[in-house]
Amino acid sequence: MIPAQVAYVRASTLEEAFDALSDPDAKVLAGGHSLLPVMKLRIARPSLLVDIGRLELGGVRLDDGKLRLGALATWDDLVRADELETPALAAIAECAGVIGDLQVRNRGTLGGSLAHADPASDMPAVVLALGAALELRSSEGERTVAAADFFRGPFTTALHADELIAEIVLPLPPHGSGSAYVKVEHPASGFALAGAAALMQPDGSRTIAVTGIGAQPFLLSNNTEPGAALAEAEIYGDRFASEEYRRHVAGVVVRRALERAAERAKGV
Amino acid sequence: MQAVTEYSVIGVARPRVDAPDKVTGATRYAADGYVHGLLHARPVLSTEAHARILSVEREAALAVSGVVAVLIAGDLPIAAAGNDRTVEPLAREEVVFAGQPVAIVVAESEAAAEDGAELVLVEYERLEPVVDVERAMRPGEALARLVDDAESGGDLESIHAGVDRGEDAEDEEELSGNVLDTVHRNSGDAVAAFEASDAIVSGTFRTPWIYQAYIEPQVATAWLEPNETLVVSTSTQGSFVTQRELARAFDLPLERIRIVAEPLGGAFGGKFALVEPLAAGAALVLRRPVRLVLTRGEDFQATNPASAQVSELRIGAHKDGTLTAISGRMIVDRGSNAGWGVEGISSLLVAGPYRWEAHDIRGYGVQTNRFTFGAYRGPGAPAAAFALETLLDELAAELGLDPVELRLRNAVVEGDVGVSGNPFPTMGAVEVLQRVQEHALWQTRDSLPDDEGVGVALGYWPGGNEPAAAVCRINQDGTMTIITSAVDMSGVNTGFAAIAAEAFGLSPEQVRVVSADTATGPYSGASGGSKVTYTVGKAVLRAAEAAREKLLAAASEELEIAPDDLEVVDGVVRAVGAHDRSISVEEISRLALRFGGRYEPIEGHGGSAQTVGAPSAAAHLVHVRVDRETGEVELLGYVMAQDVGRALNPALVEGQMRGGVAQGIGWALLEELAHDEDGQLLTGSFMDYAIPLAERVPDIDTLIVEVPAPDGPYGAKGIGEAPVIAGPPAIANAIAAAVGLRLRELPMTPPRVWAALNDGSDT
Repeated sequence: MIPAQVAYVRASTLEEAFDALSDPDAKVLAGGHSLLPVMKLRIARPSLLVDIGRLELGGVRLDDGKLRLGALATWDDLVRADELETPALAAIAECAGVIGDLQVRNRGTLGGSLAHADPASDMPAVVLALGAALELRSSEGERTVAAADFFRGPFTTALHADELIAEIVLPLPPHGSGSAYVKVEHPASGFALAGAAALMQPDGSRTIAVTGIGAQPFLLSNNTEPGAALAEAEIYGDRFASEEYRRHVAGVVVRRALERAAERAKGV
Repeated sequence: MQAVTEYSVIGVARPRVDAPDKVTGATRYAADGYVHGLLHARPVLSTEAHARILSVEREAALAVSGVVAVLIAGDLPIAAAGNDRTVEPLAREEVVFAGQPVAIVVAESEAAAEDGAELVLVEYERLEPVVDVERAMRPGEALARLVDDAESGGDLESIHAGVDRGEDAEDEEELSGNVLDTVHRNSGDAVAAFEASDAIVSGTFRTPWIYQAYIEPQVATAWLEPNETLVVSTSTQGSFVTQRELARAFDLPLERIRIVAEPLGGAFGGKFALVEPLAAGAALVLRRPVRLVLTRGEDFQATNPASAQVSELRIGAHKDGTLTAISGRMIVDRGSNAGWGVEGISSLLVAGPYRWEAHDIRGYGVQTNRFTFGAYRGPGAPAAAFALETLLDELAAELGLDPVELRLRNAVVEGDVGVSGNPFPTMGAVEVLQRVQEHALWQTRDSLPDDEGVGVALGYWPGGNEPAAAVCRINQDGTMTIITSAVDMSGVNTGFAAIAAEAFGLSPEQVRVVSADTATGPYSGASGGSKVTYTVGKAVLRAAEAAREKLLAAASEELEIAPDDLEVVDGVVRAVGAHDRSISVEEISRLALRFGGRYEPIEGHGGSAQTVGAPSAAAHLVHVRVDRETGEVELLGYVMAQDVGRALNPALVEGQMRGGVAQGIGWALLEELAHDEDGQLLTGSFMDYAIPLAERVPDIDTLIVEVPAPDGPYGAKGIGEAPVIAGPPAIANAIAAAVGLRLRELPMTPPRVWAALNDGSDT
């Protein structure tokens, strides 16, 4: 459980981070709760760790009708943020609160998790359902990628090796909206066997995203009933939970997330 | 069950003696000790479940800076034949499970050892892996081990099962060579008894391999003293058994081996001389201190979890609920363990603490290419109880009887002859059933909401025996030191302090308990089999009594009062009825422990050789809610009544009860070491292998029932194993009460519960 030899640099500015990331074998270290375990198992063996933990990339703020979540915001920051205590944004803290345990939530970061893109991680479903965009930066400049275009497959995203996630930007849902996150978790890892995030808006429109059941988290089409959409989705099965079970339970958590989001919307 | 008032220490809840050091981090565990010139070892584990080793490439590893040696089986000074882990700590020509140590890399630092281990290249010729235990039994099936060094034999079986292991089966069935052992327990005419039954139920039950999941992984440090004494500082349940095992492995005289059992970071049956031969072997070869600390991943793969079992069982009863006959087959997957298995004890315990007119039970110990079987809290018992207690519930339903009533009608009392052929000693099976019967949760079980239910089950552990000794020493300051060689597991030292304080007349705060090593301590057996308090505790009682006699003799001279007219209260010897005529223990001790002193040191030696066991029974009540949509089972309430003989320290007794319940929940709902068809472990980390976290364990209502053990110290008996045993069937019966589903395979995970609910039939 000792990582292979690795060099380490702590970036004190974004520029320093970008410089270091010119090494193609470099890896970005934020909270370390996904990267360090795989390094200790020597599954990952980067030549260089670029610690971005001291950069000013944290925080939760409302700005010009948008919610901006810093990439270095920890799960616990999200659980405690006053800005998120609205029915429309309730899914964020609800989801953050069921990730890992207290120690993990104190260290694990939003940006780190999204960049890692474990197909069973929780928060991708929420950022998808809430229509988030990711602001990515590199020495070349800045670009914005919609969450729906960000997740490309298991542990695979649109992020380039020399890029950092800076912020996750969400449009504020209209007053009278409600959101929720519901999962059935693996009893050991706590990761989602099936997780669903839902946003209900006052005009009756709804957005649903699911995680844990396939190669990557994904939005369910607005034009199809959730059950029908899930029936056509490509779903993973494994020894613990079959494809059939995951497909069924995904339907259950989708329904429960919708019900809870609707209750929250009504409760305004 | 009455509160006992004649004692001042016994029966009073007190903190554990080891608690302050443990909660403040002051305890030094086996991996913590500083040893000059220490080398660190890293094992290379087999990536194949069954293969021949063609070559081990060591050069690349040896080229790593800091690597001192790469050792394979032939390099170790093993002097005995056999295929058990003691004498084959590294695989010789054949590997028989994925995770078996094949080599160890020894280096100046942990990092160098790990770098080196990565570079050791082992070339294998794959052999057919044997992973299906039932198939493995059939004649003509592939063998899980081709190279058999026959004479295996250690001392590891006797530790756990304080019972006979049954007769070898005389009528030969056609079985493959993978069946290493058969047991047949047969009495009465089972066929006729079934024919005369009004109801018969049967089923095949499956339980998986289960990991002990101690917090502290396996660890040992070994070195040679200048006088050639091999010293092993280790996390073990038994120092003397480890000494004997190492003597056998390396053909060393016992007096040249000293085992120091360090404070234990959890064991649950799994820590018996498993890694010590590796560390000791390397130290003997390299003549430098070697420490081996398994990583969690290595500990999952390379150690000795509880056997998977298949239990085929059939039971019958008359209309009035009187049990008639029991027959069945207990198929035990030993993995690579050629030395012993739980088929003997499991085929005994499957009959439960009940009276039967006839029984016909067979046990099979079968080798496969999975792990090496080892003991885990109540070895062989949870699987047996899962089968029996589930079927008893079904039998009660069939007969229209209350499940507790059915059990009460048949529960053994002292003198009833069990399947072992021996009469049951005093035990509280009836009493614990009565306690749960009158509990509000049982009384209100019919008025629960939909999808909720309450289940009941009874389990027992026969309890073990082994002669043991202890020393009691009064120090110059009037405090007491109790010395045993028992490893302080599950709070036994705190129990010793209470026993000695009560017997002598001190407050327990003035008693220190020392767990000595094999060179210095009196003999105690291993900490296991629920026997330590019962046997070593009895020795402690006698040692304290012997010291008290010395004390009274000295006090008698000082006070000029006959010993019989003296009493010892809170560290003061005084005349009965004339309390002003007194002398403190401290004063007497000062008179004795000095140059020119007049009295023998106030010390006592005590021993015990218990021959009658002290079985402990535990009845569980569980309240569950089943989510029909997801298959998730939520535990809403838990009640357990256990016969503990006498609660020396109720706080510790309740701790054992709660811990047992939690581990039973793990068996029932969460835990499974699963392999794929090639014998590769699929659940080799805590990300895949679920154990009960605090948030999954409900409030537990612990009901202490006291049916004193006639030979136990103050009536106490061993209580560690009984509370885990009947948890799984109690939960299964609660699920049946909630949604009418009878599950026959553990763990009862959400996907399995959901699948079974949707089959509409039993699995």
